Formats: sequence, structure tokens, C-alpha cells
Amino acid sequence: MSVVSAIRPSPRAPARRLGVADLAALALLLALAVWLGPPLVRWALLDATWFGESRAACRAGGACWAILTSRWNQIVAGFYPADHLWRVAVAALCLLAGVAPAFRPRGLAILPLAAPLGVIAACAVMGGAGLLPRAPTDYWGGFFLNLLIGLGASIFALPLGILLALGRLSRLPAVKGLSLALIEVVRGAPLIVLLFAASVVAPLFAPGGLTPDKLMRTLVVITFFEAAYMAEAVRGGLMAVPRGQGEAARALGLGIVRAFVLVELPQALRIAMPALMNSFIGLFKDTTLIYVIGLLDVTGVLRNAVTDFAWQGLETEAYIFVALLFWSLCFGLSRWSARLERRLSTDREG
Amino acid sequence: MAHEDGASVEIRGLNKWFGDLHVLRDVDLSVAAGERVVVLGPSGSGKSTLIRCVNGLEAFQEGAVAVGAERREAGRRPPRGGPQLTGMVFQAFNLFPHLTILENCTLAPVWAARRGRADAAEEAMALLQRVRIADQAHKYPAQLSGGQQQRAAIARALAMRPKVMLFDEPTSALDPEMVGEVLDAMVGLAESGMTMIVVTHEMGFAREVADRVVFMDAGEIVEIAPAADFFRAPREARARGFLARVR
Repeated sequence: MSVVSAIRPSPRAPARRLGVADLAALALLLALAVWLGPPLVRWALLDATWFGESRAACRAGGACWAILTSRWNQIVAGFYPADHLWRVAVAALCLLAGVAPAFRPRGLAILPLAAPLGVIAACAVMGGAGLLPRAPTDYWGGFFLNLLIGLGASIFALPLGILLALGRLSRLPAVKGLSLALIEVVRGAPLIVLLFAASVVAPLFAPGGLTPDKLMRTLVVITFFEAAYMAEAVRGGLMAVPRGQGEAARALGLGIVRAFVLVELPQALRIAMPALMNSFIGLFKDTTLIYVIGLLDVTGVLRNAVTDFAWQGLETEAYIFVALLFWSLCFGLSRWSARLERRLSTDREG
Repeated sequence: MAHEDGASVEIRGLNKWFGDLHVLRDVDLSVAAGERVVVLGPSGSGKSTLIRCVNGLEAFQEGAVAVGAERREAGRRPPRGGPQLTGMVFQAFNLFPHLTILENCTLAPVWAARRGRADAAEEAMALLQRVRIADQAHKYPAQLSGGQQQRAAIARALAMRPKVMLFDEPTSALDPEMVGEVLDAMVGLAESGMTMIVVTHEMGFAREVADRVVFMDAGEIVEIAPAADFFRAPREARARGFLARVR
């Protein structure tokens, strides 16, 4: 009898009623919506002008979205030759298909298999090799550049961050010192300064005109910058994994490398997940800083547009667009990471 | 239960220091193949450190340890990866929380012993059957009770086909009602002919299963005696005092 009563479902908790504070907050939100909503809708949609050749076309008094539509190609891909934009599309599709497996928890393991897709993407967008005309990286730009640098730096920054974290935890003084120095120097300097150093200072010291591509230098700088932050997140995760885990793995005959890769690292990455996602989102937004060294990402393209005489003074429209673009991608990333965290959490009961 | 061949363990002149702390003093111990030895002693007496020296989790400064034909001298680095002659069961279970029970049991066979996945899974299921948790194979450790986790940890160690099983206080972290199921699994293992060195505070287990009892205090072996003799009439005063306290 006692067993039966033990599995009796618990009585349902009484529904929570709205308190005074809830009602007040609700009223405030409602008032804000009534106050700001209609003018905003009128400005952004009803009175907006969507197409036109210059600011003069926008006479309705609403938003002048024509600045976006008239320069859409540049926003997407900078000054990439217009009749070759399909190559950018191919490259973008390859990149997205390459990272798609990461959207399934078990898919992270097959991420390295996406390397061929990366090669195809690179060939499509760079050209050369006699098949497609070369498109120098000076032409690259727009949101494609943000995606390319964001994805590229993410892919290289995580492994580098793991290596740096390991280096910092190493017992060898030289390895530890070098890792620590790299982390602290890179983390201690503003990214803008590092980008300047890579684009202006580095060529001064490079031997005889041997300067790698500006985009490549940017990619390297951002990769190291983000890796320094990720190293600390990974180190935190590694230190949170109980000692017994590594001991159990070694007692089973997994050498220290396999014990690390198969047992300690997966647990450390799961613990570090929220901090790492912070870094990935930060990295993606940091890609807008490349305008300071003359690479025209989506912000750069729009900065140029709003200083153009034909479109002068349309900062509001331009930056609202950039904000919405980045917000929607970063929000998507954070939802994805929340899902991944739930799927990876095996230490919950039930 | 299948018959298994154990290996012998020889510990000669073992000395170990943690900094200035002399934790093992001139330890000599021979365990014959198939023998069951229980190590008793107050906490801090070096019992755990001793068995951790046997499987290489701890290095030591003087002496030598031989398991079967494998001999390790003082100061050598711990053994590299690959199949080990020893299996270890920890006080805190130390199951891998990110893997299912079955994956816990196949990880090392696949990655360290290079066995095929299907074979490793089949053997792991047989071992889980043996410790009576085959029905939990696809759950994660956090979903199991402490007793079930420790039995899974025993199966995981056995999956590497060890010749010597080391137990480091396997029931100390368990709720009292779960101690029995883990001890049952260990008794079953003892009956199969496995060499076992067990650090425990379970006097009942020691009395019933152990061939010999090793009593340690302050880093040295104070007394080695057949279990029946030790519990009936311990020779050393320190052992008598210890038994009087734990009874």
C-alpha cells in the first residue's frame, strides 16, 4: 500500500497570480507600445521609400530604405565584380553547409570533414588556376567579409585557444611562459591597435615586399585575439573537470593524450560553453572593426554610402539595418548554443 | 561466473614522499596470482597511495613494483597508454559523465586496446549483465544510483581484461543500503579467481573474502596475517587498537 501512495502524483501547484509589480510593468510596456508603436510603424513602413537613385527620391517623410536597395550588391559583397556575384553565393553556401553539422550536438565531431567545402569556397571566391578570373581580396567586402572573417577566425581560434589553455597549464616553464605572454599581450591590447599593427606596422618590417595579403593578416590577428579569450574560457573548463576523471582514464590505459581528448576536453568544453559562445558572438561583432584598416565590410560600405553626397545624412537607416542584421545573427547563435547546452547536459537526473 | 587467471603482484622496498612527508616506508608485499588481499588501517596510513603506486597513478622514489611480468622501478614515469594489467575502482566511481554506461565500458577497449566497436560493446554488455545493470546500459551515470554507478565502474575496469583488480574504498561514498550490492559484485569477482587488492573499511567483506589482511599504519605495513587469524587474534598492539575502535 505504501508503494502505491508513494507514486501518487503530487497535487498541482496553484497557478501563480499576477502581482501589483507585474501589472505595473505590463501597463508600462503597453503605454510604451501605444506611444512609440504607431509613429515607428509609420516611419519604418508606411511612409518609407524603398527604391530610388538618391536621397531626393525620399520625399514621403518616412525612412529612406532606398540607400540599402540601391547599394544592395555592395552590402552583400563589397566591390566584388557584379557579374561574378554567383561565386560569392557558392562560397557562402559552402561555408554554411560546412558548419551546418555543428547544429547537431553529435555533429561537432564531423566538423573537420567540412574542410573540402572550405577549399571549394575558397576556390570559388578567389578564382585563379585558369578556371575563373582571379578576384583579388581588395574587391571583397560587404556582409560576406563579416561572415568570412567571423567563420574563418572561429574555426581556427577554438583549436588555438585549446592549445594556449594547455600551454598555460603546462609544467614546462618555457611553454607556460610563452602561452601566458601571448595571452596577456594579445588580450591586453585593443583589437583596433592590433589591426593597425598588422596592416601598417608589419609591412615596414617585412623583408623585401613580402607582405601577405591584407585580408590574411586581418584573419590572423582576429584569430589570435579571440583565441586568447577562448584560452581562458577553456582553461576554466579544464580546471573544473574533477581530477578523478583523468586518473580514471589513465588507469584504464588511455594515455595522457587520449585521456585528454576523449575524457577531459569534452567535459571542459561543455563547462566552458557559455563563455565560449560569448567569445564567438563577440568575435562576429568585432569583424566590423576591420573598416579601420580599409577593408570594406558591411559597416564600411554603409559608412561610405552615408558620406556620399547623394545619400548624405541617412545614418539612422544605415545603422538600424546593421543593428538588426547583427542582432538577428547573434540572437540565432545564442539560441543555438542554449539548445546545444541542453542537449549536452547529461549530468541532470531523469 | 567465468574463470579468470589473475597475475601476481610484488612490491619491494617501496618508499614514497610527498614533499617532506614520508607516506610509504619500506613497504614489502607479495600477492600471489588469484589471491585476495584486504588492506586495512586508519585514514592517512598510506593504503590508497600504496595501490595507486601499483597501477602507476603515483610515482615513487625508492623500490620496485612488479605486476605479472611487468616491472616498474622507482622514479620511472607512469606507464604509457595501452592495455594495463591492473584495473582500478575508485571511491568516487569516476565514471565519465558525458558518456552512457555502455560507452564508459567501451571507450578504453576501443581506443586503448584497439578492439572493434561491436566486439567491445558485446563484451561490455556481458560484463554489465554480470554486475546486473545491463538494463541501465544506455543511461548516463547521473541517472543511476551510487550503487549502480559503482557496479558500472567495476564493469568498466573489467572491460580492459585486467589481471589484477585494485579497489580504493569502493563502498565509502555509498549510502548504507547500497553497500551490499557492490560487495556482492566484488564477491562474485573474487570467486572467479581474479587477483584483488582491496582497500576498505568493510570488516565483514574482509573476514569473508580476504585470504590475507594487510594492516597499515603511518605509511608502513604493521602486520600481514591470514584473515581468520587477524580478526581472531591480531599480533600487533596497533592492529588490536584499530580493531577495537572500528568494532
